[in-house]
Amino acid sequence: MYTFFQTLVAGFLIGGIYALVGIGMTLIMGVMKIINLAHGQLMMVSMYLTYVLFTQFNIDPYVALIITMPALFLLGLFIQKYFLNPLLRVESILPENQVLMTVGIGMVLTEIMRFIFRSDYKSVKTSYSMSAIYLKGLSINLPMLIAFGIALVLTIALFWFLLKTDLGKSIRATAQNKEAAVLLGVNAEWITILTYGIGAGLVAAAGSLLLPIYYLFPDIGGPFTLKAFVITMLGGMGSTVGAIVGGVVLGIAESLGSTYVSMALRDTVAMVIFILVLIFLPGGLKKITKI
Amino acid sequence: MKKLLSFVLIACMAVAMPTFAEETIKVGIILPLTGEKAKFGEIEKRSFELALEEINKAGGINGKKLEFIFEDDTGRPDVARSAAEKLITKDKVVMLGGGYGSSETFAIAGVAQQNKMPFLVNTGSDNKITEQGWEYVFRLNQPVSEYPKALASFLTEVVKPKTAVILYENTNFGTSGSKEFAKLCEELGIQVVMNEGYEHGGVDFKPLLIKVKEKNPDLVYMISYVMDAALLMKQSMELRLKPKLFVGGGAGFTLPEFQKNAGKASETVFSATLWYQTLKYPGAQEYYNKFVEKYKSDTEYHGAQAYAAAYVIADALKRAKSLKPEDVRQALAETDLMTAYGPVKFTSYDKMTNQNKLPTYLVQWIDGKLELVWPKEIAAKPYVYPIDWDKVWGQ
Repeated sequence: MYTFFQTLVAGFLIGGIYALVGIGMTLIMGVMKIINLAHGQLMMVSMYLTYVLFTQFNIDPYVALIITMPALFLLGLFIQKYFLNPLLRVESILPENQVLMTVGIGMVLTEIMRFIFRSDYKSVKTSYSMSAIYLKGLSINLPMLIAFGIALVLTIALFWFLLKTDLGKSIRATAQNKEAAVLLGVNAEWITILTYGIGAGLVAAAGSLLLPIYYLFPDIGGPFTLKAFVITMLGGMGSTVGAIVGGVVLGIAESLGSTYVSMALRDTVAMVIFILVLIFLPGGLKKITKI
Repeated sequence: MKKLLSFVLIACMAVAMPTFAEETIKVGIILPLTGEKAKFGEIEKRSFELALEEINKAGGINGKKLEFIFEDDTGRPDVARSAAEKLITKDKVVMLGGGYGSSETFAIAGVAQQNKMPFLVNTGSDNKITEQGWEYVFRLNQPVSEYPKALASFLTEVVKPKTAVILYENTNFGTSGSKEFAKLCEELGIQVVMNEGYEHGGVDFKPLLIKVKEKNPDLVYMISYVMDAALLMKQSMELRLKPKLFVGGGAGFTLPEFQKNAGKASETVFSATLWYQTLKYPGAQEYYNKFVEKYKSDTEYHGAQAYAAAYVIADALKRAKSLKPEDVRQALAETDLMTAYGPVKFTSYDKMTNQNKLPTYLVQWIDGKLELVWPKEIAAKPYVYPIDWDKVWGQ
């Protein structure tokens, strides 16, 4: 029984971080209908930023959030404005040009970071990096718990923003029907720029929260882009609630798979879920949750 | 247009000129210089360069300069394969060196054998690399089956465990190493209660470690690269997994980064190792000091392997009758050289051919420093055992 509950706790906690990684991507996908394949790489940039802030200025990773999120938000605005939007105006053979562009951006970001920081593994060691709470013998990793909490807060804030503010409503309108939104006076181009910025800001938070737990090297982005993609599909494109549930489901599935099947098949479990969702629930969890 | 063309031509010649003026002997070195294994690739490249500088200062290869052409395998076998093909056909190297990851090294070895190009492996340690009867493939380092040999005597003489758990990354290196260790356990009468691989680069190893805790073994043997190693130990500490001892099977557990990342979770962890700077080999300590002084960073056995490999390459090329592959191969086969890494002489044993035979050692992290603790005769510091985990880890 202990094994089962400990696995569940581990899966739940890692799922919180997965959710935060996925939520930015799902937002971008919902509004722009493009798959942002530079997502994990944006997180990597945020991690390096957090790392520099910690080592050079002694700023705690959690405090660094207030710097990394706006920084990546601006980077996101820049990428969308100058790299992705211009592609919309070009007549092209492939409608997927934007997606291909994000792949390129991801590679450039990775290589820039490799150029600056080399391929070395880096990590930050905070006083709480290794602390855990013990609850009736179950160990709960403290940094992961905090990350989960912050992820939850950020998601609620995003939710409120999307539901209650004019800007949020414009984003939702653009996501539902771009032409209609434009006709009703929404500046769609600005909305796409803003959305990409918010997406980048959210994944920046994931990066900062992950750093006390995990380590860092330039190629770390790729696997997380993949995770985000799976979560987005699992949750249903554009569904923020779906992304949270999707992230946690993925985390728990991976953990249960590792414990009861084999750790070597951890990624296989994720991929099997991915395929099953595509076959049996093509709309993702959004079909069930409706938001 | 014509003007431009002639300008380009002249420019090309100007660039090509120095190589005409100074003929060098080219050797291709394939290492992971980017990607996840780049940390090790860098240590090895620096060691190769350190040795190269010394070799050329001392007169090069019979008066000619030795040149290493480094290629990046990015830690992927397919890239390693094409890098080897490029070095052989385009750069016209006289032999190949390097070979870090086992899967990549195996790919390079295949190409080398097909093209009859001598290849000196210095790190790739999966047994099967030298088990194919490939006469052009030589290996300087110990194969992975040798890694636990020093551990074996430590276990029989000191610890006497009854049960063991083996965790390994599911790569050639990890799988091969786990099989060998399982065999060793059988010989020593240790019951392997769990033998499981994992996909490397994981964030959370707890599901795996929870299972280990359930089995409550005397010994946990792990074959992992550095960051997985650090996370495995950190999370073992978090879960309060308390076997009699943790042992790393080489690779990640001996790097300074392991200690830096795992912090106090690295304390008293044992690891098999292939070399240590205090070993009584001529030049061992000197290599270590030179490296640290020149690059201001630490080095360990991977670097020593590369450093020694450079000297073996130079030695073979000096003795070769000509630079034809067959003659270089012949010279390599006749190698009998003392290096900072130990004596190098290629023999055949077990199922392996062209394999250098060297002992292995056991190291332990004591007070944040990696110390050679076994075999007893050459130990630099006494081992810490039995281990009181509550005291080591704190409450």
